[in-house]
Amino acid sequence: MPKTDKIFLDARELEHPIPLERAIAAIRELGEGNYFYMIHRKNPIPLIELAKEQGLEVLNREDEHGTWHILIARDTSLDLEALCDV
Amino acid sequence: MFNQNGLSLDQAPPISVVFRFFLSGSLFGLLAGVLVLLFGTEIFNADTPQALILTHTLTLGAMLSFMFGALFQMLPVIAGVKLTAPTKKAALVQYPFVLGVVLLLSAFETGKAPLFISASVLLGGTILGIAAVMLKNLLALPNHSNSSRGMTVALVSLTLLTLLALYMTGTLSGLWSGAGYSEVKTAHYSFGLFGWIALLIISISFQVIEMFYVTPAYPNFISKSLPMRLFGLLLLGSIGAFFFAQSWFFVDIAIVIFLLCYALMTLRRLSQRKRPIADATVWLWRTGMVLLTLSASATLTTRFYPVASLQAINYIFFAGFALSIVFAMFYKIVPFLTWFHLNAQGYFTAPMMHEVIHPKTAMKHLYIHLATLAAFLVSIYYAPAIYLAGSLLILSFGWMLWQIIHAWELYIHTQKTGEKFEMSMPEAEG
Repeated sequence: MPKTDKIFLDARELEHPIPLERAIAAIRELGEGNYFYMIHRKNPIPLIELAKEQGLEVLNREDEHGTWHILIARDTSLDLEALCDV
Repeated sequence: MFNQNGLSLDQAPPISVVFRFFLSGSLFGLLAGVLVLLFGTEIFNADTPQALILTHTLTLGAMLSFMFGALFQMLPVIAGVKLTAPTKKAALVQYPFVLGVVLLLSAFETGKAPLFISASVLLGGTILGIAAVMLKNLLALPNHSNSSRGMTVALVSLTLLTLLALYMTGTLSGLWSGAGYSEVKTAHYSFGLFGWIALLIISISFQVIEMFYVTPAYPNFISKSLPMRLFGLLLLGSIGAFFFAQSWFFVDIAIVIFLLCYALMTLRRLSQRKRPIADATVWLWRTGMVLLTLSASATLTTRFYPVASLQAINYIFFAGFALSIVFAMFYKIVPFLTWFHLNAQGYFTAPMMHEVIHPKTAMKHLYIHLATLAAFLVSIYYAPAIYLAGSLLILSFGWMLWQIIHAWELYIHTQKTGEKFEMSMPEAEG
């Protein structure tokens, strides 16, 4: 099974607009076999919409503490459901 | 700019919609500075036409323009409202609105009935029209946040204060006798200052302070009930004034206590930020809240000890509060919109937000703003300082105008010369 790399960003304590800037910089670097995983205090709809419009795979889910888990990948073969911690 | 209710890029307003209102707001701000130079310290006497003209240049021309621009941007983002055809709506509102403000200012100067009537038609039509569109969309929301609920109440206040203004301009142009003019006038500026300006800022802050600055949320007793309590008090004062002469005395005291609680709580929340460094927008929020606290305290004091100079100081405190928050939001919205729209269009060479407006540039504006406020305060006791205050006000709004033009030029330059990136997977080679 090919190795899957996770690009992780904990944005819970980062002030606007740093999470969005870092997330967009990270997803530009995405390639085959890796994915972006961000945890955030809010659901970053603009980032999700932007990624979807660019044809990327996106999964966003809120955990029981109200923290949002956002997974974005270029590689459509990746199972984001399985990679999500929630 | 995050929202849990949902925002599509298709729904985000085009950058020109917001920038055009900010541009006209800056130009009216420049005009306000010029008027201060022309009128001198006459502006501190509320009964003079000069005070009336300057107040409406700042509140109607400058602040309402900025607030309309911010609402076009913030309603989809923090309330999840979908405004259809925003470019068309903005254009339909802006041109007649700007003309209406100019006609109203001319009417205050000359007292001519045709000017009052034409200003009323243009301003009444545009302000009531856009408020109705925004209210219709807000009321259709299935779920309300404390912010969207507060914005709804603020827009109802804007509608009421506009209707009261139309009654007054109708009286001034001789269309009717103007029974109860004095009570209507008090209700008009009370709804304007507290029901519209303060309430809109309060409502937006419920989401913005926590979201932008990573603070704990406001306590429920403030965020859930403050907008309706303020609105209820304003209604009580306005209606009560027709039956009980002292109605505003008690209502003002209650409003002031609520505003003090809010301002002190916001300062407390800003002190609970996790990030130790404060940028210009944080300092502008702090400045605004300190000035609101001072304004509320001055209002309370003048109710018991009416001192003319304290009343003038209070005007400066309140205007300073509102402008501080307008500036804080401006320095968040302009870089974000420029950067975000270019990224959404896929420009690899899009400037970063700090390249659109450098944090040091915003900080310099904070110093200009503080110097402006200080010069206005000094001019109450030393009249020649008013010319410094007017010049600094021109510099302050000129600074904003320069930022808008700079951001727009960067935006257009990137669109013309920028490289686009492709984030999706390339086609597999056969």
